[in-house]
Amino acid sequence: MALPKEELVEFIYKLVEAAQGKKQLKAKDLEKMVLKEHPDQPKNDVKYAIKDLIDSGRCVYTYFGGSFVEIPHVEGAAKH
Amino acid sequence: MSERITDIGPPHYSKFLPPVIKENYGKWKYHTIPEPGVLIHVSETGDELISVRVASPRLITTLFARDLCDIADKYCDGYLRFTSRHNVEFLVSDKSKLEGLKAELVQRGLPKGGTGHSVTNIVHTQGWVHCHTPAIDASGIVKAVMDDLFEYFGSHELPAQVRISLACCLNMCGAVHCSDIAICGVHRTPPTIRHEVLRHLCEIPTTIASCPTGAIRPHPDKTLKSVIVNEERCMYCGNCYTMCPALPCFDSEKGGVALLVGGKVSNAKSPPMFSRLAVPYIPNDPPRWPDTVVTIRRILIKYAENALKWERVGEWVERIGWERFFEVCEIPFTFQHIDDYKFQAYDTYRTSMHFKF
Amino acid sequence: MHKTPLLDQLESGPFPSFVKDLKRLAPTKPAVNDLLGQLERSYKEKITHWKHGGIVGVLGYGSGIIGRYSDLPDEFPGLEHFHTMRINHPSAWFYTTQALRELFDIWDEHGSGLLNMHGATGDIIFLGTRTEELEPAFQKLTAKGWDIGGSGSAMRSPSCCCGPARCEWSCYDTLEACYQLTQEFQFDLHRPSYPYKYKLKFSGCPNDCVAAVARADMSMIGVWKDDIRIDQSAVEAYMGGELKPKGGGANVDKLDVQADVVDLCPTQCMWLEGKTLKINNRECNHCMHCINMMPQALRPGTDVGCTVLLGSHAPILEGAQMSWVIVPFMRMEEPFDELKELTSNITEWWAEHGKNRERVGELIMRLGMRAFLEAVGLPPVPQTVKTPRANPFFFWHKSDFEAEDAGRKYHTTK
Repeated sequence: MALPKEELVEFIYKLVEAAQGKKQLKAKDLEKMVLKEHPDQPKNDVKYAIKDLIDSGRCVYTYFGGSFVEIPHVEGAAKH
Repeated sequence: MSERITDIGPPHYSKFLPPVIKENYGKWKYHTIPEPGVLIHVSETGDELISVRVASPRLITTLFARDLCDIADKYCDGYLRFTSRHNVEFLVSDKSKLEGLKAELVQRGLPKGGTGHSVTNIVHTQGWVHCHTPAIDASGIVKAVMDDLFEYFGSHELPAQVRISLACCLNMCGAVHCSDIAICGVHRTPPTIRHEVLRHLCEIPTTIASCPTGAIRPHPDKTLKSVIVNEERCMYCGNCYTMCPALPCFDSEKGGVALLVGGKVSNAKSPPMFSRLAVPYIPNDPPRWPDTVVTIRRILIKYAENALKWERVGEWVERIGWERFFEVCEIPFTFQHIDDYKFQAYDTYRTSMHFKF
Repeated sequence: MHKTPLLDQLESGPFPSFVKDLKRLAPTKPAVNDLLGQLERSYKEKITHWKHGGIVGVLGYGSGIIGRYSDLPDEFPGLEHFHTMRINHPSAWFYTTQALRELFDIWDEHGSGLLNMHGATGDIIFLGTRTEELEPAFQKLTAKGWDIGGSGSAMRSPSCCCGPARCEWSCYDTLEACYQLTQEFQFDLHRPSYPYKYKLKFSGCPNDCVAAVARADMSMIGVWKDDIRIDQSAVEAYMGGELKPKGGGANVDKLDVQADVVDLCPTQCMWLEGKTLKINNRECNHCMHCINMMPQALRPGTDVGCTVLLGSHAPILEGAQMSWVIVPFMRMEEPFDELKELTSNITEWWAEHGKNRERVGELIMRLGMRAFLEAVGLPPVPQTVKTPRANPFFFWHKSDFEAEDAGRKYHTTK
């Protein structure tokens, strides 16, 4: 069953949270993980759910040789 | 979020076109290059646009850029453009202002040129000015090479145009692999592994995944929470360092310059060509990299003396053969020149515009 | 001011000196003074002093900001943060001084005042600012009608040659095509969701002034299908030496039309009859040599469009590739729907199958041209290859046999 928007956003957030520090996930990885659980979920929903998470600041894009979706964290290269 | 403006893209170019271009858009008939650095485009309507091409170091300050604006205000009604090779072009609609512009450029030390059969501006990357994986500086080498070849920037003396490009490491942000002469920074040291830092700073799976040749493996001693590097597979690209700052792979002694020659992108006569390795290594020698400068000059002079009219560097080398090229340019041939990196059936695909309808 | 004895040696010489320029700005911009100091250190030690940052950005975007930190922040505090902002450039890099000054005002206020006109992909590159300046700078830029460009695993800012704005050879409107495709892919330009970068470059003719064939995953190169336009009186003027070859761009006083043009034609499709130049246009491979030589006598035809080539990238990882022909001819008229659709189809297929950091050209190598062509709905055409395969290791799919059973060849069904 496709998830309503709010639930989809939370579902994706939990995926990112669970992977944090273990595996960096790309937007496409998240889409594939959603579709595995909810095969009828339109891809566009996933796209806008990720946008929602990024716009709200709960997730950020990072770039380490590829662009990933992560929970905001302190930059390793910055002076602490 | 409502007050934030996003996803508007760049402004429409039509806002920046001088009236003579707006009126003659798509109607240009031919162009002439009456002197190096000056292009005149003539429209079917008889209108003319004069473009004066000037060198820029690419790395500039807003002070320099505002100077360019002052010049454009004075002679070009405020219109100018930049080329794909970082030259500035002053767009003169009023012919009577050309001589004044030329005089002011001389007075300001802004060289005009880069047209026709010249060595035009060197396309380059950031180097030590702003990059985290460079083997060489960019701006300094470019300055040293262009100072040396300056006579060829403001003249049409060469058999054809010569495009020189620089990339400060083999990642080639500048994609210099189709240039008449390509200057490429090369590292020659695999990463050193700082185990005690790595476990705190880096994710092991992403560090492993960062290596394009699969040379990084988990450390057999799991308690270390670190990695090992198969040094024989490392080609020093620095991607692991991008992912994991505990893997520095650069040292002061072994980095340097490689020169590749004979590439082109134009389809004129011959298809586009890759640049091929000419000199595998010249040590870093700041601030003016004399060996690099002298070697490039030697290649350019031999080309200028020996190429036929209209022949690009790559066409000249193909005609005389690579073995002759190495002989003429006094460059030793080494194991490094023989390709042993993977490549695919790709060479059966057409990379040229040479086909028929 | 930091002492820079090595860099000082780059102040002399006839080519414009970046050191001289940076030194002008250093007294009012501590970051620039520190940059000169750190660069001097790199010149002494022959090593870089920058660290890569991967997190900073502006809210909502995953593109356009590149994090940079000095590894000597105590010595050069002005470089503690020194991030890059990529500003999406207007098509063909035309500007008014008014627009440029607005940009420089923003950058002087919120950054180091250093920039590149332009970066390798085409963007205006603002070099060096602190994390807390990114958002205010972004808001001022958008208020003036500017937006930031692509970076990371995203659509990159497309770029184009000067096209019909200032060139008689352009076979389509490169500026408008570049603008429209940039607008069409704003979401993907700012929100990285591809396996790696995807670059679009638009060249108006096969001279390829923006190096599309070498530097863009998708290269649109202008081409004509009909006859080269000839002004025979101008041909005569070249023969007589009244007109100079290449518009004067070569140190050659008089063109020898037979030796310099006709004999160098790669397809030998032209000849002289007295003072008249004849071209068998059907055999022309539009290399541009004759047109380059005699710009006042010859011009591309008027039945025009572009060739779409795919796959080029620098050597990382499988070795450098140049783009190869996938669509020999595409009509290029507003609103460029065919190209937009093809681009979407290709990026969708690549996003689905590509690994992290795998360019589209490399994915096609891995999965095969047939898989690619079928997925995006393109037929096999001979213009795609220089030569057919030399080996007998080809595959037959179920669809081929089904077509055969139905009495037709598979690819004649389209």
